[in-house]
Amino acid sequence: MMKLLRRETQLRQTLLKALYDENLRVIGKKPATKASRFPFLKGRLLFLYVMLLLFSFGYTDYLNPLVSSNDAVINATIQHRNYAGDYPDEIFPSDYSSLLNETAVPLKRVFGLEVKTIIIDAGHGGDDPGAIGTLGTMEKNITLDIAQRLKERLEEHMRYNVLMTREKDKSLSLKRRIEIANSSKADIFISIHVNYLPAKPIDIIETYYFGPSSDENTLRLAAKENEGSRYSLSDYNEVIQKIGNTLKLQESRVLAAQIQKNLFLHMKTLNKNVLDFGVKRAPFLVLLGVDMPGILVEVACLSNKEEEYKLNNPNYREDIARYLEAGIIQYLLNGRSNS
Amino acid sequence: MKQQTGKKDSALYVGIDLGTSRSAISASNDIKDWVESYVGWPKDFIAAKVLGKDVLFGSEALENRLSLELYRPLERGVIKEGIERNEEAVRELIRYMIGLVKPQPEQKIYAIVGVPADTLKINKLAIRKAVSEYVNSLMVVSEPFSVAYGLNLLNNALIIDLGAGTVDFCIMHGSIPDENDQKTILTAGDYVDEQLYSYMSEKYPDSTFNLNMIRQFKERYSFVGDTEEAIHVEIPVNGRPVMHDITNEIRRACESILPAIIDTTSEMIARFDPEFQAKIKRNIVVAGGGSLIRGIAQYISNALKEYGPCNVRCVEEPLYAGSDGALKLAADMPEKYWEEL
Repeated sequence: MMKLLRRETQLRQTLLKALYDENLRVIGKKPATKASRFPFLKGRLLFLYVMLLLFSFGYTDYLNPLVSSNDAVINATIQHRNYAGDYPDEIFPSDYSSLLNETAVPLKRVFGLEVKTIIIDAGHGGDDPGAIGTLGTMEKNITLDIAQRLKERLEEHMRYNVLMTREKDKSLSLKRRIEIANSSKADIFISIHVNYLPAKPIDIIETYYFGPSSDENTLRLAAKENEGSRYSLSDYNEVIQKIGNTLKLQESRVLAAQIQKNLFLHMKTLNKNVLDFGVKRAPFLVLLGVDMPGILVEVACLSNKEEEYKLNNPNYREDIARYLEAGIIQYLLNGRSNS
Repeated sequence: MKQQTGKKDSALYVGIDLGTSRSAISASNDIKDWVESYVGWPKDFIAAKVLGKDVLFGSEALENRLSLELYRPLERGVIKEGIERNEEAVRELIRYMIGLVKPQPEQKIYAIVGVPADTLKINKLAIRKAVSEYVNSLMVVSEPFSVAYGLNLLNNALIIDLGAGTVDFCIMHGSIPDENDQKTILTAGDYVDEQLYSYMSEKYPDSTFNLNMIRQFKERYSFVGDTEEAIHVEIPVNGRPVMHDITNEIRRACESILPAIIDTTSEMIARFDPEFQAKIKRNIVVAGGGSLIRGIAQYISNALKEYGPCNVRCVEEPLYAGSDGALKLAADMPEKYWEEL
């Protein structure tokens, strides 16, 4: 009898401790564990891995945005650079080499491809709360809520198959996110995050993609010739591989520009203090790993207390989803970054 | 509220069950009370003068609803999104409920608040924000878990908490239930109201009734399965009171939520470790306002028979099962945990 009572007392103590830990997590405090530093170390190892990967592929230009954001911001002036020399001749016949220069006409339209499947990635989740605001708001909850709202909005168009990497508050490694996106044969990948800049009391919007941009006139002609093709982008995986992911990189840039433009201009009407940090290139592993054009958008800034308060308002989150939707739809309809 | 220091004995522990329809509070000074989850503000200064109050709660708010801006701020047990006044309404409701249990001046208050099983963290934060103004420390807990803790069902049990906005399922297996052990479905008490309203409108198109009357009929006469007594209610037709037979309509409306409940129950049991499934089936407990539906335990038990022998029972005090469980959790929680939160 005593043994039974003791066991029940122990069980109650375990449950109470677990409940306490769960509530600590809700307010953004982590229960003390021996492995609490592990995610930080894991993050650094991951970063080193990405850096090594970039150097080994000669993509060191992509790191410039991290050093100087001004160099990286994509605006109306597009830098011209011939990427033909970066790739083997047999993959890029002379006809293509000019197509692969920087351009405002996306290759998607050159090939007359259609976007059928959109995958939305809500950043962080589960044990990984992401950034945590001073009021206790967690990035993982904001990203999931906005992602769900965006999904619903896109589904209303009745034209796109919209998927999510996670639909619940659960942990998901970058590797798993990449696997989900690639196995779903999605055509574009949208990763939603919230910024945290503790050193500065500012509010910014910025959008990232992984890759260079390319050229214009010849592509416009090719776009017209190929118009009306009913192939999905994912059907062209083989082509994408042959042209060394250029399509993915170029499309990512245009998509990023459309999303940044729409999100910033509209959010500016709601929040006059928000700053446009533009479109940037950066070595996000998740963008490197996905097979399809992808972007990572930092929709708000959780370190700004006023912004954190607004993020707790469902109407505000709905507005963010609406403007993300506007950027995606504008990209899908005309694809021009400077339109 | 400002944090104070003091001995554990001097603190007042409260368990709160915030419900879509009703909210209950149980306190360590042996006071418990409940209120219908309505908050109303007078529409204009004339209404304010007539009513003599700045804000009204529960049945008083419902009775005077024509003079009030009336809010039912909790949807599916969490703060209803989209209207900022809802947040204010929840804060007022909490303030009112804390007042009901008569804390001493300057007395420390430690609270545990029950929320639906799969409430988003952001909703938990919103609840925290609303409650934290009036208490010194608080924790948020899944409602069926607090019911289970209060009933001492810590292992091998399935709780079905049938409320107005949600039906929460929770399997207890000797540890804190995670998302695989819990599920929430939305065909709950409010859905019964909608169905009943629809069936009665179809059968009695000339009779005039509103959703509030429908809710009262349901709460008084709800049943599933067979009944020997016909149910007659008085409803005006062209201004004259006329008796209406609503037996079949009540039965159909109440039974409309059962297929989803039975499916979810069998699915949750089937997902559980096969070695313990038989034990869970023998320990199914229905809580919440829905447990007052006559014949519900028997109905679920019969429906689950094909999965083997099972025992379904209803809690004895449905109105307070959640708040009593939350109070027990609060009282058992070590002092150091409260301080940290």
